[in-house]
Amino acid sequence: MFDVFSDAAKVAQQLQIIASEYSFATWETLYSLLLEVVFAYAIGLPLGVLLVTGEKDGIRPLPGWVMALLNGVINLLRSIPFLILFIIALPLSKLIVGTKVGTPATIAPMVVAAFPLVARMVETSLREVNHGVIEAAQSMGASAWQIVRKVLLPEAVPSLLSGAAITIGTILGYGAMTGIVGGGGLGKLAINYGYYNFKFIVMWAAVIGLIILVQIFQSAGTKLAAVCDKRLRNRS
Amino acid sequence: MESIIEIQNLSKRFGAGDNQVAALQNVSLSVKPGEIFGIIGLSGAGKSTLVRCINLLENPNEGAVLFHGKDLTSLKEKELRLQRRKISMIFQSFNLLDQRNALDNICFPMELAGVPRKEARKRATELLETVGLPDKASAYPVQLSGGQKQRIAIARALASDPEVLLCDEATSALDPTTTDSILKLLQKINREKGITVIIITHQMSVIEQICHRVAILDAGRVAEIGEVESVFSNPQSEAGRRLVSPESALPVSEEDGPVARIAFNGNASEEPIIASVAMDLGIKVSILGADTRNINGKAFGTMLVSLPENREDKRRVLDYLNDHEGVTAEEVR
Ligand SMILES: Nc1ncnc2c1ncn2[C@@H]1O[C@H](COP(=O)(O)OP(=O)(O)OP(=O)(O)O)[C@@H](O)[C@H]1O
Ligand SMILES: [Mg+2]
Repeated sequence: MFDVFSDAAKVAQQLQIIASEYSFATWETLYSLLLEVVFAYAIGLPLGVLLVTGEKDGIRPLPGWVMALLNGVINLLRSIPFLILFIIALPLSKLIVGTKVGTPATIAPMVVAAFPLVARMVETSLREVNHGVIEAAQSMGASAWQIVRKVLLPEAVPSLLSGAAITIGTILGYGAMTGIVGGGGLGKLAINYGYYNFKFIVMWAAVIGLIILVQIFQSAGTKLAAVCDKRLRNRS
Repeated sequence: MESIIEIQNLSKRFGAGDNQVAALQNVSLSVKPGEIFGIIGLSGAGKSTLVRCINLLENPNEGAVLFHGKDLTSLKEKELRLQRRKISMIFQSFNLLDQRNALDNICFPMELAGVPRKEARKRATELLETVGLPDKASAYPVQLSGGQKQRIAIARALASDPEVLLCDEATSALDPTTTDSILKLLQKINREKGITVIIITHQMSVIEQICHRVAILDAGRVAEIGEVESVFSNPQSEAGRRLVSPESALPVSEEDGPVARIAFNGNASEEPIIASVAMDLGIKVSILGADTRNINGKAFGTMLVSLPENREDKRRVLDYLNDHEGVTAEEVR
């Protein structure tokens, strides 16, 4: 690594790469992150709700086999190592966006890997909602759907936001790994340009970019969760 | 008078096999419109289960719950939800929505019923007045005391314009002064709005203070039902006696000889009677234990006194006591 630093020309070349690639890579990382998070929640949020409402003592119990299937699939997807799952799910991209390479192609498999996590995060948040409040709503004649929309989700907002911050951090991490298998963004910069080509300045620059992004999303999530939480006395 | 709520042969069991608990066994009772009906019993007697069966938060294994003569257990889910709006409930732990302020909590049942937002807010503001917290509209539950939370919960319960208000240990988490004020509020609502109130409690004082009639629940069965004054002054069941005067259920030592239980039902005060036995009959009786109280300014309760060994004297004492209005005496040993 120090050899690299001793060679001014190589340093200049790496800085050149950073200057020309960095902002596009960051953009790729961010837009794919946005799409992945949106789709992962579009699938994971309803499933997380079903995991809570559909169980035996839930507000709208589902047949046992449905719950077993749902839990089974989520556990299965959660237990396959990320990169393997990603590769297994890549054909989905061929189907949806017509290609297996590039940033757009990473989105579908990323969503497959992320929605089970989202479902579990949402499930955990909803389970924290005080059962007495649900019962109170039932005693007022609320339907299952009204309970989900007006009790479970709103009461769990702070916890859902904290969960989202963790989810975003994880998706960013996954997204960086896809650099190995043809994904774009900062991960690709770090792995393809940086690690594989011994351009460690590029690598570190990309890694630092990722670290900063994770920090931003995590602290924004934590902050937002606190701001939204009406149970905290010191503000109103 | 026709009853507003009638519970018929209700049974509820939890669990299965050896672990099965019979929480309610063949419970029947009826509540009249406009009354404050108390249900009292020791912990585990099945009070919460019973009240939760009234609005079918708990599904009974057997029996029927009639609301205005209509069996709730036979209703389709949608129809049941509509009926539930007429039977509100308040809880020991208040169960307010933490993420909504007081006004929005009160709006909640109206939102569920599809009342337009503006109208709901107007009514919620009026209800805040009713419960005495007009300045707490924008306070979140965390910013309220227990008593204030229960007031908001009461306002919320009233928002759907119910006919019945179920209270499950609504004051058990509150201090005596706050309990008092909440009971007064319930009484006011009962009087002014004519809402039937069903109160579950393990505290005698709650029943005494506001209930018209009371049912004593013991190990899942109704031990007795009656006017509060008569049940408390002269309980007919063992469970009733244990509740009314715990010490009278305790065995008094054999050496005390024959014992009489004197019940006061509100027309006499206890002290002079015992003294006058000695003055008028020349027979000395001593008080072994007493649990008497003032209800609406009248003496109620029971007292255990020792009787003379001599059969003739014993007779005279009992007759003398029974001659007094508002007093019944019987030999218990
Ligand atoms: N969901 C449940 N599952 C199993 N057993 C239950 C359940 N709910 C109540 N029970 C049992 O039913 C019996 C009556 O309980 P319940 O809560 O109705 O009593 P309670 O009179 O309200 O007591 P407390 O004054 O302590 O609130 C108890 O033995 C209790 O253990
Ligand atoms: Mg209880």
